[in-house]
Amino acid sequence: MKISRKRALKNYFFYTCLILSSIVVIIPLFMVFFFLLQKGGSSLSLDFFFNNPKPVGEIGGGMKHAILGSFYMVGLGSLIAVPLGLVCGVYLSEFGKGKIASLLRFTIDLLTGVPSIVVGIFAYLIFVVSMKSFSAIAGAFALSIIILPIVTRTTEEILKLIPKHVKEAGLALGLPRWKVIVFIVVKGSRSSLMTGIILAISRAAGETAPLLFTAFGSMYLSYSPDEPMASLPVQIYNYAISPYDDWQKQAWAGAFTLIIIVLGLNLFARFYFVRKDIYRSIKKLFTRQTKD
Amino acid sequence: MTNTIALEVKNLNAYFGDFRAVKDINLTYHKNTVNAIIGPSGCGKSTYIRCLNRIHEEVEDASVKGEVILGGKNIYAENADPVEVRKHIGMVFQKPNPFPSMSIFDNVTIGPKLWGEKDRTKLEEITENCLKKAALWDEVKDKLHQDGTSLSGGQQQRLCIARTLAIDPPIILMDEPTSALDPIATVKIEDLMNEIKKEYTVIVVTHNMQQARRIADYTSFFVLGDLIEHGLTSDIFTNPKEKKTEDYISGNFG
Repeated sequence: MKISRKRALKNYFFYTCLILSSIVVIIPLFMVFFFLLQKGGSSLSLDFFFNNPKPVGEIGGGMKHAILGSFYMVGLGSLIAVPLGLVCGVYLSEFGKGKIASLLRFTIDLLTGVPSIVVGIFAYLIFVVSMKSFSAIAGAFALSIIILPIVTRTTEEILKLIPKHVKEAGLALGLPRWKVIVFIVVKGSRSSLMTGIILAISRAAGETAPLLFTAFGSMYLSYSPDEPMASLPVQIYNYAISPYDDWQKQAWAGAFTLIIIVLGLNLFARFYFVRKDIYRSIKKLFTRQTKD
Repeated sequence: MTNTIALEVKNLNAYFGDFRAVKDINLTYHKNTVNAIIGPSGCGKSTYIRCLNRIHEEVEDASVKGEVILGGKNIYAENADPVEVRKHIGMVFQKPNPFPSMSIFDNVTIGPKLWGEKDRTKLEEITENCLKKAALWDEVKDKLHQDGTSLSGGQQQRLCIARTLAIDPPIILMDEPTSALDPIATVKIEDLMNEIKKEYTVIVVTHNMQQARRIADYTSFFVLGDLIEHGLTSDIFTNPKEKKTEDYISGNFG
């Protein structure tokens, strides 16, 4: 039967709409990339990555302190939030039926919705006010509150994907419940769990607001948890609103660095599965050769 | 002759909340036999078999009353540990369910490994033995480190059987093990049941009467949670005592 001209036209029209909207969605990312590279590219150099800021008025210097500060605080925040989030997620998916569980789930959902500036003020009240100083630990704490609900909920959702009959099969082998959960359910989901964790961490790496009144920012490289510490987002913010042309350029370069880090983490998370398969086949190749 | 008894079921009742799904079952299973359970859909045969290794109680609201005697001890006694019970009564499920992101080798050895067996050569021995018993060894011996889920459905089911054999339970329960498989895979599993009954006692739920006829030494016929008739398979199919059994096997209802 011949497709009527009207239907062919309709099909063509809607198909074009789909393609166009996809392109519209993709464009902003590429434009962000393009602008950052154009504006900040000239300041991107080894100096930028390996030097701390120079005093005001001197040209040059870099953001080594802010890059390391970001890694420091995001790392410390993850150290607090990831184990806690994993445990809560396991609890919710495996035992999440009682009242405590619904309360926990509700709290976590609320926590996801709390604006990040409010998280910052909360950490300010707890740490900065009592310690009478801005500190890296306060920043890490604020970031951990950003990470915690994301890790908890993704863990819960991922573990729920393991079918009930798989858990029953584990129990039927005469294994205690905790072993089934740890060695079959959690271990079996490890790559998806990793993906969830990395995505949560990359989200925290880009946050500015929770760090504004907690870690505050600094012009010096510091590794002490009780002192103010620089981070990429805050450094970018401070440089971008400064009157100096050199600093503004560095802000662009910092922004480019930040987006590369976040994008890198996301891509790593996405291709984690593929990497594992490649690793497997390499390992297989190796064992074959040694056998022959 | 008492030592030929593998498992004794006394006044077993299973519930989902208030609903009584299995009613007052009394049955005795002998060692080294294949025992089939047949009956129309919803007759409680799956629920019944899930009571025999205490996996029924894993479902929310489910409960059991009655006794199941294994080696002189009631598995539903107050001090009985379901984890210990399941070490002696293995189970193969309806859908093949190899553990995710786990190699074939790890799938087979996970039971012994998590019970504390660390010796690598011993684990390799177990793998080879159980995969051979499950008639899967020749197909997978070169790819033991591939994911268990990469196998075909029939192979996955035989992998699950090997996994159960690895914990060496004297009794193996199978809940419609071939209902998700094609005829060729089914034949392989049936042959396998015939083979492993030399060492194990097999209790198998099937909705396929011809299968029961092919593989089982004894057959029980269930309707709506009641045990209608139990006896030698040949008697059940050629000379049933109950009218309902006759009607069912001759296709008049079901």
